[in-house]
Amino acid sequence: MPGTYSSNAFTLAPASPQALAISNLFIGTLYFLGAILILVTGLVLYAIIRYRDRPGAPEAKQVFGSMRLEILWTAAPVLSLAVLATFMARTMMASDPPSAGDRPDIRLVAHQWWWEIIYLKSGATAANEIHIPAGKRLLFDFRSADVIHDFWVPALGRKIDVVPGHPNRLWIEADKPGTYLGACAEFCGNEHAWMRIMVIADPPDQFATWLKQQSAAPAKPVTAEEQLGAKIFRDRICTNCHLRGVGPDLTHIATRRTLAAGVADNTPQNLATWLHDPNTFKPGSNMPDFKLSDDEVHALVAYLETQK
Amino acid sequence: MPDKNKLGVGLFLFSEAWFFVTLLIAYAYFHSLPANGPSAGNSLNVLHTLIFSICLFASSATIHMAARSFERGERTGVTGWLSVTVALGAIFLFGQAREYIGLFAHGVTISTNLFGSTFFTLTGFHGLHVFGGLIALSTLLGVTMDGQLGEVKPSGFESIAIYWHFVDAVWVVIFAVVYLWPLVA
Amino acid sequence: MKDAAIPGPTAIESFEQEAHEGWLAWVSSVDHKQLGIMYLLGAFVFFLVGGVLALLMRIQLAVPNNHFLTPQMYNQIFTMHGTTMIFLVVVPLLVGMATYMVPLMIGARDMAFPRLNALSFWVQIFGGIMLYFSFATSGINGGAPAVGWFAYAPLTETAYSYGPGVNYWILGLLGIGVGTLTAGINLMTTILTMRAPGMHIRRLPLFVWMTLVTGFLIVTVMPILNAGLVMLLADRLLNAHFFRADTGGSAVLWQHVFWAFGHPEVYIMVLPAFGIISEVIPVFSGKPIYGYEVVAASTLAIAFLSMLVWAHHMFAVGLGHTFDIFFALCSMAIAVPTGIKIFNWTATMYQGRVRFTTAMLYAVSFLLMFTIGGLSGIAFAVAPIDWQLTDSYFVVAHFHYVLFGGTALALFAGVYYWFPKMSGRMLDERWGKVQFWLTFIGFNLTFMIQHVLGMFGMPRRVFTYPPLPGWEAMNMISTIGAFVLALAVLVLMINIVISLRSGEIAGDNPWSAWTLEWATTSPPPPENFTRVPPVNGRRPLWDLAHPDRTDEMLARAAG
Repeated sequence: MPGTYSSNAFTLAPASPQALAISNLFIGTLYFLGAILILVTGLVLYAIIRYRDRPGAPEAKQVFGSMRLEILWTAAPVLSLAVLATFMARTMMASDPPSAGDRPDIRLVAHQWWWEIIYLKSGATAANEIHIPAGKRLLFDFRSADVIHDFWVPALGRKIDVVPGHPNRLWIEADKPGTYLGACAEFCGNEHAWMRIMVIADPPDQFATWLKQQSAAPAKPVTAEEQLGAKIFRDRICTNCHLRGVGPDLTHIATRRTLAAGVADNTPQNLATWLHDPNTFKPGSNMPDFKLSDDEVHALVAYLETQK
Repeated sequence: MPDKNKLGVGLFLFSEAWFFVTLLIAYAYFHSLPANGPSAGNSLNVLHTLIFSICLFASSATIHMAARSFERGERTGVTGWLSVTVALGAIFLFGQAREYIGLFAHGVTISTNLFGSTFFTLTGFHGLHVFGGLIALSTLLGVTMDGQLGEVKPSGFESIAIYWHFVDAVWVVIFAVVYLWPLVA
Repeated sequence: MKDAAIPGPTAIESFEQEAHEGWLAWVSSVDHKQLGIMYLLGAFVFFLVGGVLALLMRIQLAVPNNHFLTPQMYNQIFTMHGTTMIFLVVVPLLVGMATYMVPLMIGARDMAFPRLNALSFWVQIFGGIMLYFSFATSGINGGAPAVGWFAYAPLTETAYSYGPGVNYWILGLLGIGVGTLTAGINLMTTILTMRAPGMHIRRLPLFVWMTLVTGFLIVTVMPILNAGLVMLLADRLLNAHFFRADTGGSAVLWQHVFWAFGHPEVYIMVLPAFGIISEVIPVFSGKPIYGYEVVAASTLAIAFLSMLVWAHHMFAVGLGHTFDIFFALCSMAIAVPTGIKIFNWTATMYQGRVRFTTAMLYAVSFLLMFTIGGLSGIAFAVAPIDWQLTDSYFVVAHFHYVLFGGTALALFAGVYYWFPKMSGRMLDERWGKVQFWLTFIGFNLTFMIQHVLGMFGMPRRVFTYPPLPGWEAMNMISTIGAFVLALAVLVLMINIVISLRSGEIAGDNPWSAWTLEWATTSPPPPENFTRVPPVNGRRPLWDLAHPDRTDEMLARAAG
């Protein structure tokens, strides 16, 4: 099962200019709302204490209202909301800058229940763990292969729905290298909970190396066991899904930290468990149980571990 | 204070109006998108539909005549005009059935494309409402022919008449949006 | 109305007397009081079911990576929890309260259409039962719908929900919707055509006024839902293409249609609750509601604005900043008339004599809890904040604060206020206070922490979660709170049972209240009133008790 997660996914721990803009607005709004709550609570508590029924309390005064007060407590909210609205408009520009004329850098295709990542310039594909160069703004383009999903990495900014038939775009960047956690945030079926997102911001030169590796041809199996695994991978038609975008691309699976969009750490043991029956980790997963034998699993794991 | 029967029916029709507005918006939205295959422009016969539509529009006039006869207590007037109203409504439904059969024969069904989906849903629910209205009108006709005109409350008669006018008015809008729009756009 | 004394028993009255006894009499009843009670009882049963579903969810979420429920089970449960609470609990409870109380409060004998009234109730119940039948469908694709209470397409299309669950959801809601729609028509017609002489619209008790406005919302938006439902059914059963993006349809269209219904629906769920508060607070403060005209007018403003804000549920869809700004501004605007009400209710207590009955405790706590929910709602109106926090536990916290901290607390107030009228006995005040504190503590324990969970990135509708820092502790606190709430509900049930058996006899007007329902026996006779008092103001019984300073005189003196 998943191991330690070192990074928080906190809306008030912004790690990008976009997230910072929203975080500032949110904090300001919280102060404003908090002040109103304190005011209302104070008024209510004062009323019920001061005017509680007790022996000797004065008769209730039969009054019907005051137009002046009504105007006051109509105008004050209208004015303060107008101020809030102007801050809102500025934050919308800062957190979601326009992108109509720009070319996307990365395409994310959401599937039930994993993320397909395509680096548009180099053509490299990956799954679930999104590497980006730190300090650089990238334009993401979002498509869905099936139902509505949502991309949400709180530390990096707003969430955006991934809607079939309605592509969306978002500028994403990370101020500093680090790992930023997120999740699919629109209910998309059985394993919605395990459609998690990991954005890994590398220092730019490290990113370049990583991208080269991801674009490289798949590693060739060396030992007999690894070669057997490669053969099983073809014969048992794993390629039908995993080389055609139906399931995650596994060309560089050995470099990933987790399996199956975050449900388990990427260890040979977990990989074996998954291959024996995907439903152990992710019940209802679209990958069927192929009823592989122990030997087949062993060989496959050996092969897949070479896929760096 | 307003009459409760008429108010009740009025509120019901107000709600039905929103139902049809929603279906119309769905139709209009998909119609405004570029599309291939069968469409309102290439699959519908406006003239044929106009003919049986005129029957439906005329039935509003005839039920109005029936209502006037009812007010005057003229039993033969009521049964006469109600019969014509029912007949005209039936012709409308018959015409619509023929239209549907023609479309099916040309491979246009609710599952063909968005035109099929929106056309059949919108006109289908309207047709169902016409059918419901015909049942109400026939019941009224039966009661009248049975000599029980005195049992019919004025607000009851009027309520059925209001419903029938509503069904007619909805068809005016549907006819314009579905059949006339491709002719002007 | 009639000023004469009660006529002696006649054959007709004996028949009426006989007709009101026995189980069969209840099943065939068209009397608004019996139907009102049946609405309340039926909704309470569904409340217990929906509550158990919630407890199951909270057990599953108490610890990370839990295996108490499979994901399939969890997803069916959260869908049914939401659908049940909204359509089978909150709306029928409010409709039931109105069905019982509105004719009495306007001095009428029954509702405008008694047989339609019965139809409304039974169709709603059967729609609910049919919805629950989905749990009994078998096989790998069987089970209840597992798509969330707002059922976004294309997840609800056959390709992604192959079993019959979603069909049950659609058909169940169509049935329940007929019940709600006809109830709305009936209530509106009753209020507009059956008021006692002298009860002008401007003298309506605010509960009746808010029910009238709610009725208007019902007749406007239930049909919009119906249209969406039939389009989805066409997609599923007849292979239509309305919401199937892969064949030219639009997933976003479903959201527009659903939320055009769904947002006004939440006001349907809150306006009658506002009405209850508007009755309870003045009575237990001993003075009339502050700003009656403004409170009434603000209700109209809310109803109007409620139909212009639906797409604030769609800020994350990416429909463009202009679009988002329009709906954000309208959503902020709707906070103004709502806030006005809170201020007027609070001002009502000033210079009064506040009696801390259980009903009043609930009404006062409503003011604070609903304010919290309303304020988090304003946060969501600010689109960029919504962009972060929608679909997280922050929004789960928000809507539970307005629906439970708001509507449910108001309903508890209404129960303690009107139970004596309906049953002839008082609910026990000591058990009432125990129930109040358990509810208040349990509710806040469950939901306050969820605001933080959302800020920490926990999405909603997840059957489990990884052991991220803080998530486990916060979820555990929320689960404990849920069980405290469950205990509170048990206490309410105990209170109702013992009070029905041996509660203090209530009499006509145990609270010294002023509206017409208190001018008859508890419970009222079948014809509601033997004599309807004259109506010359908003508080007929105040005027009767204080002929030297009626409301009209007081208003004139105030200038």
